[in-house]
Amino acid sequence: MKLAVQPLTIAMALAAWLATAALAQHELHAASGQSAAAARPGNERIWTRQPLLLPGRTTRGERSSGTLIPQGIDAAHVTVFAAEGPAEGLRVDYPVDAAGAKIASVTSKIGNYHWVVAREETPELVKVASTAWYFNNPGNSPKDMLAIPKHELEIVPTPLPRERSRYREAQKWEFQVRFDGKPLPNQPMLMETEFGSRLPAVTDARGVATVVFPRDFTPQVAGAGDERRRAGHFVLTTEKAKDGRRYLTAFNYQYTQDPERNRSVAWGAAFGVLGMVAATPLLRRRKSSTEGGSEHA
Amino acid sequence: MLKALFPTLSRVRFMVQVLMLFLTVYGSVVVGHYLADKISSSLPALSCAYDQMNGGYCVLVPTQHMVSHQIGEAVVRAQQLTLQMVLPLLMVFLSFFAFFFVIGKAFCGWVCPLGTLQEWIGKIGRRFHIGVRRFAPGDLGDIRRVRPVKWLLLLGLVFLLPLLTGLGVTPHSLGNPFCDVCPSRIATTLLTGNTEELALRIDDGWKFGLGAIANILIGFTVVGALALRLPFCRICPLLAFNSVFQRLSPMRLAKPSRTNCGTCRICTESCPMDIPEISKEEGRKAYNEDCTLCGRCTEYCPQDGVIKLKWGSFALFSSSREYYKAKVKGELPDGTVKPVKFVKNAIKPASAATDAA
Repeated sequence: MKLAVQPLTIAMALAAWLATAALAQHELHAASGQSAAAARPGNERIWTRQPLLLPGRTTRGERSSGTLIPQGIDAAHVTVFAAEGPAEGLRVDYPVDAAGAKIASVTSKIGNYHWVVAREETPELVKVASTAWYFNNPGNSPKDMLAIPKHELEIVPTPLPRERSRYREAQKWEFQVRFDGKPLPNQPMLMETEFGSRLPAVTDARGVATVVFPRDFTPQVAGAGDERRRAGHFVLTTEKAKDGRRYLTAFNYQYTQDPERNRSVAWGAAFGVLGMVAATPLLRRRKSSTEGGSEHA
Repeated sequence: MLKALFPTLSRVRFMVQVLMLFLTVYGSVVVGHYLADKISSSLPALSCAYDQMNGGYCVLVPTQHMVSHQIGEAVVRAQQLTLQMVLPLLMVFLSFFAFFFVIGKAFCGWVCPLGTLQEWIGKIGRRFHIGVRRFAPGDLGDIRRVRPVKWLLLLGLVFLLPLLTGLGVTPHSLGNPFCDVCPSRIATTLLTGNTEELALRIDDGWKFGLGAIANILIGFTVVGALALRLPFCRICPLLAFNSVFQRLSPMRLAKPSRTNCGTCRICTESCPMDIPEISKEEGRKAYNEDCTLCGRCTEYCPQDGVIKLKWGSFALFSSSREYYKAKVKGELPDGTVKPVKFVKNAIKPASAATDAA
């Protein structure tokens, strides 16, 4: 009887220790697991006058909902476009309140990228803020969804970063500017980042502008926390006048630091060479192996 | 025409490997940029998810993530294990099996990009007359001593450490430890011109250590493959994973009986995994856990119909004496190739001209 109780006691003690350690670590994760930039102190500062849809605080484990806070735009609702799902869910409006707009994926099982837009309209001006939101569930790629015109003047990423990936410093990406669904050539576009960079770009004959993300992360941000969580915001804006009306459209999203900042190719190569050196004894010629090969000649 | 293009099974496999290397390393140009467009995220081959241009990726990636996030973290939150938590992992396995069922372990021998690269390095070794090293008594020792390593890596790096990380016992950096030590991650990303995976993380001690192991492994594999055939495959946890399901695919190696077998051991000599059982055993035991279904033993068996590559009851390729005789004229069982006869082709037109005259 005594022998039977002992393993049970040990197992219970082990389980209790595991649970305590686990909860401690997960509380730590939850504290730092908010939407990257929103959790960073001082993020609330206004770094651009362009219209933005900024991610609000999210709870760890929420895979099919999120919060977006409109900034620089007076919109009563945001519209979420999905790539697949029931027809009534492919375009849904969510009201904006003091805490922002609580948005959701088309269904709780379908995820992937959704496109989110806020619109402010007066007789003189149409202002559009747009962004993408990745819901961490399987779903169709956003290729076809992005191809569908949603507003008069649009900035469309061609493409968005691959799922679970992000734009990065020093990378080159393409964005198409469309007006009434048609590519807009020779259209000026401006990129601004929360770290103070301002980069102009112009679309080519296909209406595509190529943007190189600036390497502008401050040392404090670049050196803080988990590599995946070091993110900054950027916004691309363009505007056009037609028939006495001004159209201003922005696309904002996040980009992360250049991974080369905290990686070392030299260390990598050194260990690679170490592996090569370790394998060289295999290259010594063995008499038996050459003899073995010749018997079938 | 087909006969001229594909005179041997090896040539067919070479062409398939070229195609699959393209698809697994650069496949996004065909299937699309987004993960949702990929062939599958549960392929039974080391097609790396870190390669931004790939056409699909390895089953071990979602397995580690599911075990860590879906099971480990969910258990911590709910303090219990439910079917709901395990279901996504079962879906990954189901998706994997949908592919695996069709060609089974031929994913290792015909599709895996790291296997292909190791084989091609081996061919360079043969061209430069670097002697073949084997796991065999008298050389590198008994292969059976190496076999448990792949099972330990599968259990430890694909299941145990991710689970412990999800449970919060081990650091977050150990969430996908096999990917961190996988040499295919470095090889395939380098093939796309990306040095990011070769570089080591210097801001995280665990990542630095795991990355150092990966770099040592790729360095060892690149040089070691010149002499030892498929050095990494011998400890690859995906080979172990595929071995679990190998009897469930109709694609298999068959050696029904040893009545015609002369026990010459040429099949073992030709086997890039140095499997002694193919010459010593018959039936189920001949189709060993290390087999990658490359088919070389079938090509080099000098007896008619002793070894077969089969899909269900259909023999896709069967050993034959005639084939063997033709095969060894170009390449020996250990992969040593005969010298290229440039002169023979150069003389042809002259002799043809003489004939015409």
